Amino acid sequence: MHASRSGSLLAELLAALLLTALTCAGVWMVLSELETARSGAALWKYRESLWRGWGTTLVVSVGALVGSCAVAGVLVAGQRSGLRSLRWFTQGLVELVRGMPLLSLLLIGFYVVLNNRFLAEALDRVNLGDKLFAGILLLSIFTGAYLTEILRGGLESIPQAQLDSARAVGFDRWQVMRYVVFPQALRRVLPALAGQFVSLVKDSSLLSVIGVNEFTYQARAFYAATYLGVEAFLPLAVGYLLLTLPIAGFSHWLERRFAAATAN
Amino acid sequence: MKLHADTLTRAYGAVQALDGLSLQVDARVLVLIGPSGGGKSTFLRLCGGLDLATSGSLEINGTALGEDPAELLAWRRRNGFLFQQFNLFPHLTARRNITLPLEKVHGRSPEEAEEVARRCLERFGLQAHGDKLPAQMSGGQQQRAGLARAIAPGPEILLLDEPTSALDPEMTAEVLELIQELAAAGQHIILSTHEMGFARAVADQVAVIAEGKILESGLPAAVFGQPRAAFTQRFLAKVMRFT
Repeated sequence: MHASRSGSLLAELLAALLLTALTCAGVWMVLSELETARSGAALWKYRESLWRGWGTTLVVSVGALVGSCAVAGVLVAGQRSGLRSLRWFTQGLVELVRGMPLLSLLLIGFYVVLNNRFLAEALDRVNLGDKLFAGILLLSIFTGAYLTEILRGGLESIPQAQLDSARAVGFDRWQVMRYVVFPQALRRVLPALAGQFVSLVKDSSLLSVIGVNEFTYQARAFYAATYLGVEAFLPLAVGYLLLTLPIAGFSHWLERRFAAATAN
Repeated sequence: MKLHADTLTRAYGAVQALDGLSLQVDARVLVLIGPSGGGKSTFLRLCGGLDLATSGSLEINGTALGEDPAELLAWRRRNGFLFQQFNLFPHLTARRNITLPLEKVHGRSPEEAEEVARRCLERFGLQAHGDKLPAQMSGGQQQRAGLARAIAPGPEILLLDEPTSALDPEMTAEVLELIQELAAAGQHIILSTHEMGFARAVADQVAVIAEGKILESGLPAAVFGQPRAAFTQRFLAKVMRFT
């Protein structure tokens, strides 16, 4: 099977050569735009704000990752509630959030909902009135809605036979979920979850519209001050990849680990 | 084991899976035979506390199986159940499939559970497969592991729903042998099967179920030797033709 799938050595070599050439051309096109005389000094001057921006993106991403899981937990429970009104309400909420651009969710959430006098006062009182918290909260809700649908798909994909077996060994409702349904569902939706978390990191770049000085904001500020495009946006791309590639790698590692366990 | 079913019905939408099934038996090993779709599985599910009757009553060893979820859960915990296939949890090893319910349902310590699992695996010839996931075992091994899991807590009654229908003849023989051993050791069993030779050998009492009713029941020699109902005669003639 291995031999039939791989082409001849010559074709393999030619393809590798061609793709390497293409990659080099791409890199050269980008790097040739560097104004080497100024770039080093300018980047050095703005290193702290860029570094702070990356740190803020990291904080927002980790915060929203945890937050979105909590939101998804609540929404999944709502979807599976015994009360029909609660189920409908939850589903409506999920569709509302998923159907809205993140940008409008951020603007409405920040300038209208969280700006409400009573809500703002209450948040201030517990020291959570800042933009960073608002950003993490809104991003958590946005991503949480997507995670909810991914998890629902996973939970519903577990065959009835597993539920029967779990009940037959004497598990109660909670134990059926805890020991049988959830571990299997989680393994099945792992790739989709990882994809959503990668999106989350990238979506955090929109938080600048509510004044969170995250990485993209700082890179644009750097560009506005120096007009050095490649110098501003190349580190930006690398900075995001530093956050997203480990997520993808971790997910692939988990998938491989669970490969046998998900075969059915 | 005393079983008393009185005009049991179970409807799934328009389908009448059980249609006034009545049966009163006292048996150690009760075997249910009959055509597919006749109601054997539904009756077993009711006996196992996995499903609710639409009407009628069912009492086993003095316990009336009603609708109370807590009572049904307690009943399921007292007994063991094995389905045709997909019994094992695919994300757990054979050993963990056995120890997890022992720990979480029956309150055994991890060491105790481990010891029980070791003995069960050994008894069922699976000592070499304890650390395998279900997907790494053959169908027969999976079914034996499922049987080991059902037996591990020491169930009052073992309910087996066509335990060999998904297996090839060699694996079928492996599993039937184990069931026969369990029966010989005094385990109370209710099982449905299409293996007529096995049914005859292992049963104290046989009941023929078709169209949601009991057509006849009695000693295996009587049911297989001189079936009274015309349907049973035709059914047995058909399924025994090549055995």
